[in-house]
Amino acid sequence: MILPLQRQNSGKSGNLAAIQRLNKTPELNPPYNPSMAHKSPTYNLLTADRLIDAKGGPPIQNGAVLTRDSEILAVGSAYEIRAPEGASVTNHHYPGATILPGMVDCHTHNNGFGDGRNGQDLAALPDEILTLQSASNARRSLFSGVTTIRENGPKNMTMFRLRDAINEGLTIGPRMILCGRPVSIIGGHMGYFGGEVTGIDECRAFTRQLIKEGADYIKITATGGSTPSSFPLRPAFNLDELKAVTDEAHKFGKLTATHSTSTKGVINSLDANVDMIIHCVYKEPDDTDNFRVDVAERIGEQGAYVNPTLHVGRSKIWSLTQKNRAFGITEQESIELDTAKRELETRLDQNRRMIEMGVKVITGSDSSWGDYQLGNTVYETELLVHAGYSHMQGVLSVTKWASEALGVNDIVGTLEPGKQADILVVDGDPSKNVNDLWNVTDVFFKGENLDRGSEESLSAVRQTPEEINLGSHHSHGGHK
Amino acid sequence: MSDGNPQFTILKAARLVDGNGGPVAEQAAILLEGDTIRQIGTKETVQAPEGASATEIDYGDATILPGLVDCHVHLIGIGDGRAGDDLVTLPDEVLTVQAAQNVRKHLYSGVTTVRDCGAKNRTTFLLREAVEMDIVASPRLILAGRPIAIIGGHLSYFGTTATGPTECRAAVRQLIKEGADFIKVTATGGSTRTSHPSRPSFNIDEFSAITDEAHKFGKHVCAHCTSSGGMENALEAGIDTMIHGVHRDFNGNDSYRPDISERIAEQGVFVNPTLGQGLARIRQLEDNPDLVLETEDIDVMRSGSEVRMDHVARMRDAGVVMVAGSDSAWANYPMGDFQTEIEAHVMAGMSNMEAIVSATRDSAVSCRVDDIVGTLEVGKQADVLVVDGDPTRDIADLRNVHDVFLAGSKIDRHNLV
Ligand SMILES: [Zn+2]
Ligand SMILES: [Zn+2]
Repeated sequence: MILPLQRQNSGKSGNLAAIQRLNKTPELNPPYNPSMAHKSPTYNLLTADRLIDAKGGPPIQNGAVLTRDSEILAVGSAYEIRAPEGASVTNHHYPGATILPGMVDCHTHNNGFGDGRNGQDLAALPDEILTLQSASNARRSLFSGVTTIRENGPKNMTMFRLRDAINEGLTIGPRMILCGRPVSIIGGHMGYFGGEVTGIDECRAFTRQLIKEGADYIKITATGGSTPSSFPLRPAFNLDELKAVTDEAHKFGKLTATHSTSTKGVINSLDANVDMIIHCVYKEPDDTDNFRVDVAERIGEQGAYVNPTLHVGRSKIWSLTQKNRAFGITEQESIELDTAKRELETRLDQNRRMIEMGVKVITGSDSSWGDYQLGNTVYETELLVHAGYSHMQGVLSVTKWASEALGVNDIVGTLEPGKQADILVVDGDPSKNVNDLWNVTDVFFKGENLDRGSEESLSAVRQTPEEINLGSHHSHGGHK
Repeated sequence: MSDGNPQFTILKAARLVDGNGGPVAEQAAILLEGDTIRQIGTKETVQAPEGASATEIDYGDATILPGLVDCHVHLIGIGDGRAGDDLVTLPDEVLTVQAAQNVRKHLYSGVTTVRDCGAKNRTTFLLREAVEMDIVASPRLILAGRPIAIIGGHLSYFGTTATGPTECRAAVRQLIKEGADFIKVTATGGSTRTSHPSRPSFNIDEFSAITDEAHKFGKHVCAHCTSSGGMENALEAGIDTMIHGVHRDFNGNDSYRPDISERIAEQGVFVNPTLGQGLARIRQLEDNPDLVLETEDIDVMRSGSEVRMDHVARMRDAGVVMVAGSDSAWANYPMGDFQTEIEAHVMAGMSNMEAIVSATRDSAVSCRVDDIVGTLEVGKQADVLVVDGDPTRDIADLRNVHDVFLAGSKIDRHNLV
């Protein structure tokens, strides 16, 4: 049994603190309109019924945030916040709405389509096409209110190239924290994206190569996954190889994250001091589910973050259900549907227990993978609420806590003076109903009120939900 | 489009211009069935078939026209003044992202068909794949892929150079294998730093090898010509569209050659004079004199533009058919503004109606797609532009885009995803 973690301190413990000492947040994509820098400052004053600063306290009633160019200048009550004397300020009043930080999605696959196609077919597409899809996905997530993403597995240089295009001012997208390509064993999960290595020297060399190309963190597949030549229930790298990657990454101040779909992979990741465990599935090599309290405790003790990716499984349930209704499904698909439902229940239960233990579980959509499309991050947050978070904790899991997990909490994740003006305005009150995060009214990115285009085009981004019955055990456990 | 029942749409407006150059139809209407034009007539006569229902839009004081056909674009261009030599240093993925933004801008501005006259490596072919996969919204694409250049020649940095008839033939075959719809040749140098704009590039035997090989496979040939020597070679080799068509001697001096114009007319070669490129820059500098570069003199640019317009007027008098092609987003001319090129045609002496025809029917004929687009005629594809006002009276009304239909589908011009 471990005590709930003090989240406020979590960023200052373990190797994360060391990393933050070593390395200030990397300069993510600079403003896409560099000419802004030369003009006289632009002020925006946003007021709404309430403001969630995401520092952990209750919403501020009649809240306001004042921005200057790309930065937040002041946050507080609408009665107190005033623009400087003589400054030309644009006022934005949002009755019935909530102002909160732009969302941080710690797990995207921008190359993907979310149309059910598998990774190996995706990787067979030319890099230029994947870059175009990534550009479209980047706009999709930005317009949905996600202002920072961490990309978890693109092919070759595609995401670096998208970042180049954004830096050239050719297109727009959220702040992007990139891995380049995932580090994989030969035949391992996502090896098709171009990062297969063997032995500690190759592991080190490849980590250096990725950092040279511009990687902001290192993504490793610690177990197999959906890749046919891989073994999801078995570890991929040996421990010495895994450690070589994490040591090398940490040396340069880069965080690490491992895809782990079985318990042994989670344990190896912990042994190698990984900073984030993705999926975090408790499964034995024979596919039996077995929640390991001891392993969960260790995750908590080491201060590693868990990104459980629950909705990607539910999206498969939805798409098979929809297909069944429209055209019927095969016997094989019917078995897959039952398995997916059972697994989702199991995973919700495992995450409920981790949340109760105070493990740092955060939102990372894993879209566009499987049937889950970018621009729909809120579905993942909703499932974390289903797994035991309060609605407010759900909001924190996709803002403050996610920014801490990515080491960018000095610039985004909360509304505080000096941070970047990445601001979301939604109708309703997501601290009471996390689904109000869907009701986006405006997205400010780096202080600019984005033109998100037609309502019609925005509503087409949202995927259609299906009613499915899941056991409900709202415990509202976990830390504050 | 729709696999169920046919979708009927009736568009009505005060005026309809069919692109053939005849009188404007008043109180007109057009019936679209799926992706095809089914009927054109008056508001009273045009009706959906018995028993079928149709979506009806009355645009009031507006003009219905064919979707515009821009016969000369560079989709990977940025239009921010950077030289092609610098543009190509960007990675192919970045250029493809730019091309995707450009096609969207052009489509939203009323252009439903473009002919791309040269891009780096496989970028435009891959863009087309992305359009077919529904990742990108785009006008119809007619692609050259890479232009064929001599070593060091204009646009050679895009990736295809050839020397001698055999390599020229091989280059044509390679491009056609990759999906080229036509062949672009740089018959003279141009802005490319290692090239010589007043001199011809390919020799006649090489040039003829290119046109023969292209024509053998039913592909047409467009040649960039910024001097009279290049034009003569291009005519000798039997090209189909002359780009720029600059009357200039070996030393770079303006010198109108009536004999060349006569030959162009005789051979039925189209000329795409690219007057909008200069006009766009002059207008930018007039609006914002701070932008004038050290290398630029607006008076020199104005007189240069006048000489070109005068030559174009004389070529037209000689019977040459001019087709509108913006050459954007080359140099300082961003995409989404084909209207400037059309306005330049009016400034060069065309009537508004003639300029519209040069940007619809004639442009489509030069691109060899007039069997499906370019005019509003029953049986053709439903590529339709609706603008408020009357561009036959004020050509600037072409900018008042109200709606764009591509293959019968109304484009959401505010979709930024
Ligand atoms: Zn993933
Ligand atoms: Zn050109």
